[in-house]
Amino acid sequence: MTAVSQTDSTRRVSTPPHTLGELFLGFLSIGARSFGGVLPSAHYVMVEQRRWLTQEDFMETIGLCQVLPGPNIGNAAILLGKRWHGLRGAIVAFLGLFALPYLWVLALALLYTRSAGSPLVSAVVTGVGASGAGLFTATAVKLGRPIVRKPAAVALIAGCFVAVAIGRVPLLVVMPLAVIVGVYCARTRML
Amino acid sequence: MTLIELGLYFALLSLLTFGGLSSVIPDMQRYVVDVKGWTTAADFMHLFAVAQAAPGPNVLFASLIGYRVAGIAGSLVALLGLCVPAAALTWVVSSLWERFRDSPWRGVIRRALAPLVVGLTFAAAYTIATPHTPDWRLWLIALATAAGTLRTRVSPLWLLAGGAVLGALLL
Repeated sequence: MTAVSQTDSTRRVSTPPHTLGELFLGFLSIGARSFGGVLPSAHYVMVEQRRWLTQEDFMETIGLCQVLPGPNIGNAAILLGKRWHGLRGAIVAFLGLFALPYLWVLALALLYTRSAGSPLVSAVVTGVGASGAGLFTATAVKLGRPIVRKPAAVALIAGCFVAVAIGRVPLLVVMPLAVIVGVYCARTRML
Repeated sequence: MTLIELGLYFALLSLLTFGGLSSVIPDMQRYVVDVKGWTTAADFMHLFAVAQAAPGPNVLFASLIGYRVAGIAGSLVALLGLCVPAAALTWVVSSLWERFRDSPWRGVIRRALAPLVVGLTFAAAYTIATPHTPDWRLWLIALATAAGTLRTRVSPLWLLAGGAVLGALLL
């Protein structure tokens, strides 16, 4: 994730999209330009280019979406679409966001399926997959750094990892237990 | 029948997707590969790689799994299954969140979830990079990419391209 530039925090004037069409095109453009991460392109389109949101608004919205389950930007589309144009706005923003990336990913999958069987393609695709795992590793390290000094946090990180990755325990079992322990630790200031 | 199973599974997963798709990738692999046998572990990893090379939210990976299982209908069912329950929850919570602006629960939830997301994201990395038995070459590519992300400002797309080159050379 690219760091969001701080110079924009001075911009306090924002004008929300007036029509559903404008909302759709804005989210279409977020989806289309979001190679390598959606957050930077969402910030560019909504804060810098179209000025739909101020920097503070953007951060607040993303902050809420990050504690809710579901794709963060997908949730942001729902939230902002609702705020500006009600249910129709939420649906339109969501469809705009996913339309082009969905077609793109299906086209890529078709291409891949056609060339499956070639050892070179298989090696390249496996390399990209392993590289994607590396991106996750980096994300986990970044998110883990601020909490790694707390023993309860380390125990929860290790517990979740071992149960899910090594033990292959269903997430439906692990998640509720981990949330209960996490909330208990957070309330007693161990986290 | 498969379509219903697919939709129900992803709808359930939707509400467990804290911190993005990475939290649920290990469980997706467990269910789709181990329990249902809909794809092989290698194919699962390849589809993940294809999704990485596309723009947009990485939940589109779910639509590729759906596509593999039940064609276009499967891809839509998986994607909507993964998004709609979470979207409905967002819809409901967005009004409550404002009301609880100063509630200490906001901080408690944030602090409680952080270690879970970290642990599950590590688990996702391990699951993707270990489709079968541990293979040092895949781990090397993953660690090189992680180091590139943490130590440099190179775009993730270039790092994925580096992974492609390393894959061609090593595998």
